[in-house]
Amino acid sequence: MLVIGERINGMFKDIANAIKTGDPTAVQEWAKKQEANGAAWLDINCGPASDDPVSHMKWLVEVTQEVAKAPLALDSTNYDAIEAGLEICKQPALINSVPAEWPKMERVFEMAAKYEAGVVGLAMNEQGIPKDADSRVALAMELCAAADSYGVPMEDLYIDPLVLPCNVGQDHGPEALETIRQVKTLADPPPRTTVGLSNISQGTKKRELINRTFAVMGIAMGLDTAVADADDDELMEAIACARIIMNLDIYCDSFVEVYKDRW
Amino acid sequence: MGLTGLQIFKLLPKTNCAECDFPTCMAFAMALAQGKTSLDMCPYVSDEAKEQLESAAAPPIKKVTLGTGDFTRSIGDETEIFRHDKRFFNETILAIEVKDTDDVEAKCEKFNNLKFERIGMEFVIDAVAVVNDSGDADKFKSAVETAVNKTERCLVLMTEDADAMAKALEVAADRKPLIYAATNDNYEKMVELAKEKGCPLAVKGNGLMDTAELVDKVVAAGHKDLVIDPGSREMSQTLADLTQIRRAALRRVRTFGYPSMAVTTKEDPMEENAEATVYMSNYAQLIVMKLDEKAALLPLVSWRLNLYTDPQKPIAVESGLYEVGEVNPDSPVYVTTNFSLTYFIVEGEVEASKIPAYIISVDTDGISVLTAWADNKFSGDIIAKYIKDLGLEEKVNHKKIVIPGGVAVISGKLQDESGWEVMVGPREASGIPKFARENFGK
Repeated sequence: MLVIGERINGMFKDIANAIKTGDPTAVQEWAKKQEANGAAWLDINCGPASDDPVSHMKWLVEVTQEVAKAPLALDSTNYDAIEAGLEICKQPALINSVPAEWPKMERVFEMAAKYEAGVVGLAMNEQGIPKDADSRVALAMELCAAADSYGVPMEDLYIDPLVLPCNVGQDHGPEALETIRQVKTLADPPPRTTVGLSNISQGTKKRELINRTFAVMGIAMGLDTAVADADDDELMEAIACARIIMNLDIYCDSFVEVYKDRW
Repeated sequence: MGLTGLQIFKLLPKTNCAECDFPTCMAFAMALAQGKTSLDMCPYVSDEAKEQLESAAAPPIKKVTLGTGDFTRSIGDETEIFRHDKRFFNETILAIEVKDTDDVEAKCEKFNNLKFERIGMEFVIDAVAVVNDSGDADKFKSAVETAVNKTERCLVLMTEDADAMAKALEVAADRKPLIYAATNDNYEKMVELAKEKGCPLAVKGNGLMDTAELVDKVVAAGHKDLVIDPGSREMSQTLADLTQIRRAALRRVRTFGYPSMAVTTKEDPMEENAEATVYMSNYAQLIVMKLDEKAALLPLVSWRLNLYTDPQKPIAVESGLYEVGEVNPDSPVYVTTNFSLTYFIVEGEVEASKIPAYIISVDTDGISVLTAWADNKFSGDIIAKYIKDLGLEEKVNHKKIVIPGGVAVISGKLQDESGWEVMVGPREASGIPKFARENFGK
């Protein structure tokens, strides 16, 4: 599994403040820090408080790219903001995200094809998040078919089964994991998978423990990526270790360092 | 291996009529992929889609068989791009050219005598490829007839002249030769011949696109026992084409779902050997070459053996007594296991010590020293038995044996059982040269 570093998000005070004052220091520090600790992408989110997501997204992309080499995941429900970001991204980005709903899929997959971007597809629609794995997989299939019809390769589609906090949506956990497993059988080559990892532990005790345990279980089911806290060393170590056990990386004594240093 | 939901969905009519008892075509596709329903439930699916869906159950590369009797050889039926992912199954057929203008009888006799011994097994060249170099159909037929009578090897009949092929098949069809080759100009006649005689047919195109079209035409004409020659005679292009064919076949592109072949072009035997090695390593399942000298063929046969071994199984050397250098009755005796990696590391270090020595390789089913010791396959009594059975007492005038340092614990038992003095060697074979100098040096 590869990590999409979650920290450049307007939900966090320091980032919200940076957006407000136009001082890129906090953004750039987090970009460098996450990248140094093994993040393969950097998630960019203006936060719900942003009053001008288009220009804020552009600014965040610009200042992040000044210091980081990692590709970006443009995280917004405002597709104009995402398109503004895509236009200035120096390398193919991820669009985070689109649910299995028309005409949102039309807009997003057209953009993805045009900018050669990846797409995070959410296994949900207007009716919300389905509970059981079968319904989630059916929505994932809709996303696969839509991506295919717009010429977006399956390797560029990242299906998110959607995880809910395990203290309130506990019964969703096994369904989300089963979804990850089944999504891998929908197409050949299969679409990739992703989750918003930190969601699993919203409002719980021992968040880091829950996060890294789910990450490891997800990797065993075929989880390819996750929006997660790249600054959490124990999480990164657990991921590096799970990759070894799943025979995704060749073992060496310094496997943790190798996992973090490869980007 | 079935089709994925998306592959099935693309073949469905997308009417969403729900007559299949599923609400949408997509839901029906997913149910099909999971084996929960059958395709008959859909009244609107096209015949073409039906055939594609059904063919998905077939193996990705068709198995094709040449020859009869002891020289029956099968190729195809491969499933991998890289041997370490599982293994390569059916060894490449090596075919040596003989022209109908040559002395076919003498050449066939020569080929019959090409035999190689390696790690206790015997290998021969599989096939003789008779080439219609004269352009004369009768001459070709008589050359093929001579080959049929003089050798039991598989046959490849090489002419693009369908009339010459028809004549040659009169005398050779019973031997199930490979008919080489159907081209854009002659494929109708060649397919008729192959169908009538029940022989495999090589399809020779001109580049991948052209080859794909030709294969489809041949299949449409009713023959599916095929070997694909993409037609390139330039090494890098052939390598690329062979790779694309294998990849496409494993992606279930039916057109390329047949074994592939190559023809060497280099004149110099060394270069031709290297060329054939490249093709063999990269999915050619049949290679036609001019090489007929033992010295040039042995490396190729050895490489084929190595390439087609099962990577999951440890490779073992023959157990027994090995001599390193000019041994004499004073030479030291080392003992190790028959795991090839272990044995060759020890042998290399013993050689590097420049002190000639004996090495006993104990049959541990090809596993390493510590694994074998843990598994009770490398113990004092087993080694003692080897000392006795190999008659070591008559070969050397001392009674000392060196064991690997990692299994020092077995020294007591070995000493008791054998009556030999046990010397505990270094833990790592890299310590052998120093150990040998200190203990056996002059």
